[in-house]
Amino acid sequence: MSYFGYENILSMGGACSRRQERDSEDSLSRGFSRKYCKSGSLKWWTSSFSYPSMDIRVQKGECSSLLDMCVQKISEDVDRHNTFSMLPRDISQQILNNLVYSRRLTGGSFEAFRDCALQDLYLGEYAGVDDSWMDVISSQGSSLLSVDLSGSDVTDFGLTYLKDCQSLMSLNLNYCDQISDHGLECISGLSNLTSLSFRRNDSISAQGLSAFSGLVNLVKLDLERCTGIHGGIVHLQGLTKLESLNMKWCNCITDSDMKPLSELTSLTSLEISCSKVTDFGINFLRGLQKLVLLNLEGCLVTSACLDSLAELPALSNLNLNRCNISDRGCEKFSRLEKLKVLNLGFNDIGDTCLVHLKAGMTKLESLNLDSCKIGDEGLVNLAGHKQLICLELSDTEVGNNGLEHLSGLSSLEKINLSFTVVSDSGLRKLCGLSSLKSLNLDAYQITDAGLAILTSLTSLTDLDLFGARITDVGTNYLKKFKNLRSLEICSGGLTDAGVKNIKELSSLMCLNLSQNSCLTDKTVELIAGLTSLVSLNLSNSRITSAGLQHLKTLKSLRSLTLESCRVTANDIKKFKSTHLPNLVSFRPE
Amino acid sequence: MKKEDTVKLISSDGFEFIVDKEAAMVSQTIRNMLTSPGSFAERQHGEVTFPEISTTILEKICQYFYWHLEFASGKDREFPIEPELTLELMMAANYLHT
Repeated sequence: MSYFGYENILSMGGACSRRQERDSEDSLSRGFSRKYCKSGSLKWWTSSFSYPSMDIRVQKGECSSLLDMCVQKISEDVDRHNTFSMLPRDISQQILNNLVYSRRLTGGSFEAFRDCALQDLYLGEYAGVDDSWMDVISSQGSSLLSVDLSGSDVTDFGLTYLKDCQSLMSLNLNYCDQISDHGLECISGLSNLTSLSFRRNDSISAQGLSAFSGLVNLVKLDLERCTGIHGGIVHLQGLTKLESLNMKWCNCITDSDMKPLSELTSLTSLEISCSKVTDFGINFLRGLQKLVLLNLEGCLVTSACLDSLAELPALSNLNLNRCNISDRGCEKFSRLEKLKVLNLGFNDIGDTCLVHLKAGMTKLESLNLDSCKIGDEGLVNLAGHKQLICLELSDTEVGNNGLEHLSGLSSLEKINLSFTVVSDSGLRKLCGLSSLKSLNLDAYQITDAGLAILTSLTSLTDLDLFGARITDVGTNYLKKFKNLRSLEICSGGLTDAGVKNIKELSSLMCLNLSQNSCLTDKTVELIAGLTSLVSLNLSNSRITSAGLQHLKTLKSLRSLTLESCRVTANDIKKFKSTHLPNLVSFRPE
Repeated sequence: MKKEDTVKLISSDGFEFIVDKEAAMVSQTIRNMLTSPGSFAERQHGEVTFPEISTTILEKICQYFYWHLEFASGKDREFPIEPELTLELMMAANYLHT
């Protein structure tokens, strides 16, 4: 399980078609502050564009193999080649991966891969993919093991070509607007499929799901945001190997759809967030002896469902964010002894509830109490949870006295204290938390003085001071945080002089200094050396298009936000095309 | 150059390249041939024949070996690859684990 997601950057290589996707989004770091438009999580910017084929990249200073050089060369002048079918499969696979990664592949050059016996076609989100590509895909025949056509214009007709690919194990067709029930019929015979994904498809109906009933080897099925499948879950009943089922945001799903799930005893992960499921529906899940993860976020369940959940012996990760949990009946929490990750954010619970968490949950590693009525006294009950790694207390009534009880949580790596009443003097209680990597102090009453107290936390990688009143003086203390990868200071108190201290933080990947209206082009010049930056926000400052030129060095930049600056969308577009090839998101646009 | 420090690489058309052993061992395949107990002939004679690699390609391969050694010692130059050789060179590189 990845708590912070940096390893995504480090492990982008190692493509392997049968590799299990790491399902980390439901782990711990869900839900960051919603009140302002923030720069978004680092995790998103560093992982969501990683193609599985990134292993092409050569590490700086490492010698390229001759094979890699040749692959690169062929990719650069791919139009010279009519066919790669005489090449060994693994080489043509490398050429294809390189072309996809470098965005050089076109419908025309794809023709050269006809009959190459390729195993993996990761064409998800690749521009221009449509039915005309399907014939070449089909020609890979029984060699083909995994295909990703997410976000393509492939239609039901295009899917008929997959019939010849009987060995297919993994198929992703997320965000394919033109695929409906008819298309599903085409894949109903692909009985070797172990993983199938159809996110955000409004056309698939209950009837359409009947095409899945023969896919008896399915281990993983993703139907996130499929809004028309109510009543069709019954067709999944025979998929006894199914371990993971995602029906997040399928708001059509009701209690009656839970009944067929009771047969799926191999399930280890079930996500039905934002559905219409109630306590009654949860009853049907009692027999899922292997269920480890259950996501009920935004469902209408109450504490009454805890009786059913207590019957699940393997349950360790439970998301009850935005449910109807209250202090009434919350004593049942003490029965959920195996829980490692518990999300209770946005429920009507108070300090009483924490008493019951203390009683039973000795294994708890992550607890989310965002916007609950938790105060200083409630935190006494967490003092003994030495194994806690992640604690979310944003928007609670927690203040300086409460932090006293957290000072012994030596495993704590992540804590969110934004919009609490914690102030500078309370931060003294945090100085001993030497494992701390991520700290959110987005609160008005935090000032430079508070930052001065925290300089012992040298392991920090993420520091959010969005609304804290940090000035140039405070930035002197930032120099202690050499490992910082993400930093936000946005309360308006910074000038170019303060940025001088920030430029030392060479590990920074995400930097948000928006709302500091005194920052000038000098700031841009100063941060030009932060070449690891992936995301940069300098909105509401005096940056001009002349300042933009200093960003040339930031080749890794994927997101750049310069709203309300003296820079136009056109300036950025022009600059992007010549200097920032990796930029995928920019504002103004 | 002492004979035991060199190795003779022979192309499909019989052309012989005498290169430093250190250079030739940039190729994992040649390294295995020269060091593994199973390949007695290659080890004894310091000679490897490649019936599938043409002279042009083998010459290019040898150039790469030396480029690789230079790179390792800090010289960062580009290694030029002629477009018309790329496919064949790539096959050879694949075979030679280079």
